[in-house]
This record gives sequence, structure tokens and C-alpha cells, in this order.
Amino acid sequence: MTRVVVVTSGKGGVGKTTTSAAFASGLALRGYKTAVIDFDVGLRNLDLIMGCERRVVYDFVNVINGEAKLNQALIKDKNCENLFVLPASQTRDKDALTEEGVEIVIKELEHMGFDYVVCDSPAGIERGAVLALTFADEAIVTTNPEVSSVRDSDRILGILQSKSRRAAEGREPVKEHLLITRYSPKRVDEGEMLSYKDVQELLRVQLIGVIPESESVLHASNQGTPAIHLKGTDVSEAYSDVVARFLGEDRPLRFVDYEKPGLIKRLFGGK
Amino acid sequence: MTAGSPSRMIEFRNASIGATVAVLRDARPAPLADELHKMLGGMADFFNGEPAILDFSGLSAEPDRIDWSGLISMFRRFRLQPIGVRNLSAELVAAARQAGLAQLDGAELAAPTASPTRTAPARVDAPPPPPPAPVAVQAGTMFVDRPVRSGQQVYAKGGDLVLLAGMSNGAEVIADGSIHCYGPLRGRALAGAQGNTAARIITSNFGPEIVSIAGIYKTFEQGIAQNVAGRPAVVRLSGAGREQKLDIEALQLD
Ligand SMILES: Nc1ncnc2c1ncn2[C@@H]1O[C@H](COP(=O)(O)OP(=O)(O)O)[C@@H](O)[C@H]1O
Ligand SMILES: [Mg+2]
Repeated sequence: MTRVVVVTSGKGGVGKTTTSAAFASGLALRGYKTAVIDFDVGLRNLDLIMGCERRVVYDFVNVINGEAKLNQALIKDKNCENLFVLPASQTRDKDALTEEGVEIVIKELEHMGFDYVVCDSPAGIERGAVLALTFADEAIVTTNPEVSSVRDSDRILGILQSKSRRAAEGREPVKEHLLITRYSPKRVDEGEMLSYKDVQELLRVQLIGVIPESESVLHASNQGTPAIHLKGTDVSEAYSDVVARFLGEDRPLRFVDYEKPGLIKRLFGGK
Repeated sequence: MTAGSPSRMIEFRNASIGATVAVLRDARPAPLADELHKMLGGMADFFNGEPAILDFSGLSAEPDRIDWSGLISMFRRFRLQPIGVRNLSAELVAAARQAGLAQLDGAELAAPTASPTRTAPARVDAPPPPPPAPVAVQAGTMFVDRPVRSGQQVYAKGGDLVLLAGMSNGAEVIADGSIHCYGPLRGRALAGAQGNTAARIITSNFGPEIVSIAGIYKTFEQGIAQNVAGRPAVVRLSGAGREQKLDIEALQLD
């Protein structure tokens, strides 16, 4: 059975695309045949993060309009054997996606034997975002530790429970996971940011991980390599933990505590 | 939610109390239905069965009578559930009440008129007391198992509302009876929406933006009292007439 996972948030710029790329890569690294779809028609970011922008010939909208076959549009990832990217179109307007079209593509991915389909949602709570979550079995609600992001995630959770197919058909609700990204333990410690516990308390959704704020995300996107491949970095480790927890493994939370510089360090500086 | 421009015959706004407000420039069902059909043509389920307040401030002249049952069933066809009216003269409000709609004028207007206890002295120009409202026990209780999220609304018509997973900031729940909330009560909670002054709001974790019982509101711009913030609490209405006020008390749960 194919599982459809939407990476969503309501708010823009919180790390959905970064997460979609890392998470889909992580599933593929674990041996699952995975497709990652860019629903952000008009912006088209995912192919840049995945480093396949020069290989885009056909896109999601071409497939929906019958101008290309799905297997012509799917781009094989350069890092993972089992991973395929379905890019968004940069030129079309947002109405190019239709519910029927999306459904046909997802059904076809099922027939092709994909284990996971990861949907990178656009920001907002309008059509594009709703289409990205319509067919979801699970949702990774990506949230930054600040009030406006938490509020938008709350809204999208409501939409998930009212507009998804699972809701419409009265099936078991979409499984919700809370992912907190761009987390800075230091700023939490200084009271400038909500703690992950605050966020979880506000949203009351199972926490699947906390991704620290890190320069390596920028390096990764400049290189066109999903952050999970940057071996040894906190971000890569944190995303690997997320994938492991998603697959049912137990992993303790990491990178959430701020260690105040000790007395020696404060007196003498350095490491 | 905004659909349509001010020149339209009907315009939708987010109410200051949360439910969708439909500002009507015509009170006749047929032309409104045409207009809604035009506005929502391809989106039959644009509204999700959400509660709506019909606002008549946009009428150029108030008609002598309004076809309430026609109006209500017309809105229901478009998946809107009229629960109340505002900006309407006392004569028409009386008929609206007969049709099961509450008077829901803004917070500042609500206090004097929206407390129709059968024994309370009516103001001189107040509408006649409504027919006996459906009581909670008869209408039954509405249970909500999942959190009520920001932007969502729940209306327990004629009865009590039980929230088993709390509610978020930006959400709104309305009950004609009492509201029982297990988990955080964080958005807007309006009990006794049809004027039941005996309704209460009970929660295991008090942190709302607004509470209201029978149209008497309380907001919390200055914060919530220490003894109840984030703790079990009960809200009830005390006093009569202009002295009516909401009391919030800590609740001992164990
Ligand atoms: N953990 C992180 N640390 C630092 N920067 C991050 C992190 N995650 C995302 N970013 C940055 O935030 C910006 C928005 O990320 P993106 O994944 O495109 O968000 P979205 O898809 O939600 O709009 C990008 O510049 C990205 O590099
Ligand atoms: Mg994005």
C-alpha cells in the first residue's frame, strides 16, 4: 500500500520544502520507493533543493493536462536509487492543478509500486495547500517556534480534519505529526522563542522531531543536496531521527538543550 | 472569509464573535439565492455547514416582513446554518426568534437585549419573550472528540456541547446549553446562545479569548486571573438586568 504524506504548515518559509526533500530522501535511504511532489505551482523550489532543476523537462501540470506521461516527468534523484521527484511548473497559474488530476497522478504512483508519496505543500490555506493535503494518509505539520506559525499550523490541522478525503469519506482521520523546525535552544533559553514543549502544548499533536536552526541548511540548498545527506551535521542527524520515528523506531530527542557556556569558557573564551 | 465586493447583494465577513456574518442588501430569498449561485457557482461546499449570523445593516429600507423559513432553508441549501440576526428592528427580531434565530448584535449591544429569562422584566421596547426555547436535555448533547482548531466553529443547537480534546485560540464554539471542555479552552466560547441564562462554561484548563453566557460577554485583554489561568474553572452568569455579570471561579477537580 502506498502511503501519502503531506508536508504542510499554513505559513510560508518555515521549512516545508527543506523537510520534504530531507524526509523523502531519508525514506529512500531506508530502501522505500519514494516520490516527492512539488505542489507549489508558480514557485517551484523543490527541484532546486533536490539539485535536479536542470533536468526538468516535463512537470506536474504537464502530466495533469495529459501533455506528458508520468514516467516522463518523474526525475530520478542523483543521490538515492529509489527516489523520484515530480517538479512543479514555474510558468503556470495556480489553477492548473485540479483535484481529479492530482488523484489520477497519485493513483498511478500507487500502480507503479511506490511505498511513499511525499507532497510538498505551498503556503497558505487556499486551493494549492488544500489539494496537497486532500489525499494524505499522514501529515507532517511543520512549525517554527513562534506564535504566528503555531496559529497557522493549528488552522491547517483543522483543514486537514475537514477537507481531506479521509475526513470527507469518514475514514480514520489523517495521522498528524508535529515537526518543529528552525529551533534555536539558545533563543529559547533567552525567552525569545517558544520552547518545543510550549509548541506541543499549544497544538496537542504528537511530536515527530525538532530540527535545529543551522547554517548547514543553507549550504545544503546551495549545493542542491537535501540536508539529510550532510553527514555529521545536527540537521542531518535530526532529520534521520524524524525518519526513524516515522517508521516506528524510538529515538530520544536531540539538539533541544542549550548548554550555557561554563565559567572557564566565559573567563577564558574559546573551546 | 471574503467572497464578493461591497456592491454585491450579499457579502460575507468574519464576525467579531467568530461565526460567518452574512451582510444582506436584500432580504428576499429568491434574489439572494441567485446571487449566491453566481458567487459560489462551482463551489457548492464553499461553506461547510458553518454557523452564520444574518446582518441586516446593509438594507436600504427594512421590509415589513421577512420570509424567515424561506431565508433559512435557502442558506441551508448553500451549507450555511443561520443561527442569529443582527441590526434588525424589534418587530422583525420577534419574528426571527419565532423562526428559531437568536438576536446576536455586537458585544456592546448584546447585554441589554439578549437575556430573555422568562421572569426578567422586559424593557419597554423589548420584543415579547420568545417561545420556550428547546431545552438541553431534550435536544441532547453534542460531543466533539477532536480538538477544535483555529478557524473552526462548532454549534450545538438546542443543547450542551462537550469538547473532549479542547479548543485552540481562534476557534469558536457556541451552544444553546452549557459548554463542557476537557482540555484547554482557548478560543471563543459562547454558551446559552439563545438566551439561557442558566448555562455555564466548565473547563479543565481555562484560557479563552472570550466567554459569553446568554449574550453577556467577557474578554481578557488584561489577562486572566492567576487563580484560574490554565486551571479548572467554571463561568456562570449572576445578577439580573443591568447588573448581570459573568463570574469565573476556580474549580476543584480532585
Ligand atoms: N533548520 C533550518 N535552519 C536554518 N534555515 C532553515 C532551516 N530550515 C529551513 N531553513 C531556511 O528557511 C527558508 C525557507 O525554507 P523552505 O524549506 O523553503 O520553507 P517553505 O517550503 O516552508 O517555504 C530557506 O531559506 C531555508 O534555507
Ligand atoms: Mg516550499
